[in-house]
Amino acid sequence: MSILGLGYSPWSPIFWLLAFVVVIIMVYFFRRRGRKKYKKDTAQTKVFLCGEEVPEAKQRHIKAHNVYWGFFETMKEYYDANIKAHTGIINDYIIWFLVLIAISAIILFIVGIV
Amino acid sequence: MNLSAIKRALWAYHINTGSCNGCDIEILATLTPRYDVERFGIMLVGSPRHADVLLVTGPVARQMAPRLKRVYEQTPDPKVVLQVGSCGMEGGVFYESYNLVGPVDQIIPVDVYVPGCPPRPEAIIEAVAKAWVKLEKAEQVA
Repeated sequence: MSILGLGYSPWSPIFWLLAFVVVIIMVYFFRRRGRKKYKKDTAQTKVFLCGEEVPEAKQRHIKAHNVYWGFFETMKEYYDANIKAHTGIINDYIIWFLVLIAISAIILFIVGIV
Repeated sequence: MNLSAIKRALWAYHINTGSCNGCDIEILATLTPRYDVERFGIMLVGSPRHADVLLVTGPVARQMAPRLKRVYEQTPDPKVVLQVGSCGMEGGVFYESYNLVGPVDQIIPVDVYVPGCPPRPEAIIEAVAKAWVKLEKAEQVA
């Protein structure tokens, strides 16, 4: 066994360290070859988006809600009805509760269980 | 003229501001094996951030004006603008159309004009050569 007890396997930290150093050198090399005559703090340093105005970072991010767009669109009628019912007012929920209890009681009374 | 100030080949970014596509096809023709400008290192790039030359085609539709201006501002200095095609100079077949705000030189400064509807690839290559000379001078001044 040799390097730090891991031999010459791909998991040897020395190899990873060497790879990291090589990558850093390559990045530095390509970065140095970049154009230096651009004007700082002008449009030349802004993100290029095919000529479009680049929105703020918060607006650029795709929200998780967007992933479910098809699902929400398909279930639109169901959600519309349910969202209307969910007013967030406790009195409304109590009324729903009492109405459902009353309907359940009537059904149970009719079928003769109670 | 001794072309020595620029140590690299020219890279061009092509922007269509509402062209009929005729000039765009002629620009592409310069890259085909018949003309093959890439043998001189001249090539189209996908971002103005890498470009020395802006190739502008079209008469500048109203929606494209701010975008053209933004692309011009995002191109690093020194740069030259080539206006390709007659419609970018005086409207061409789109003359007096309600949705135009061109010609191109009313939106951004133009260095080399290439007339024609569409111009031949030889004319575009000659214009790029003139742009190269102009860029050399700009580079020497800088």
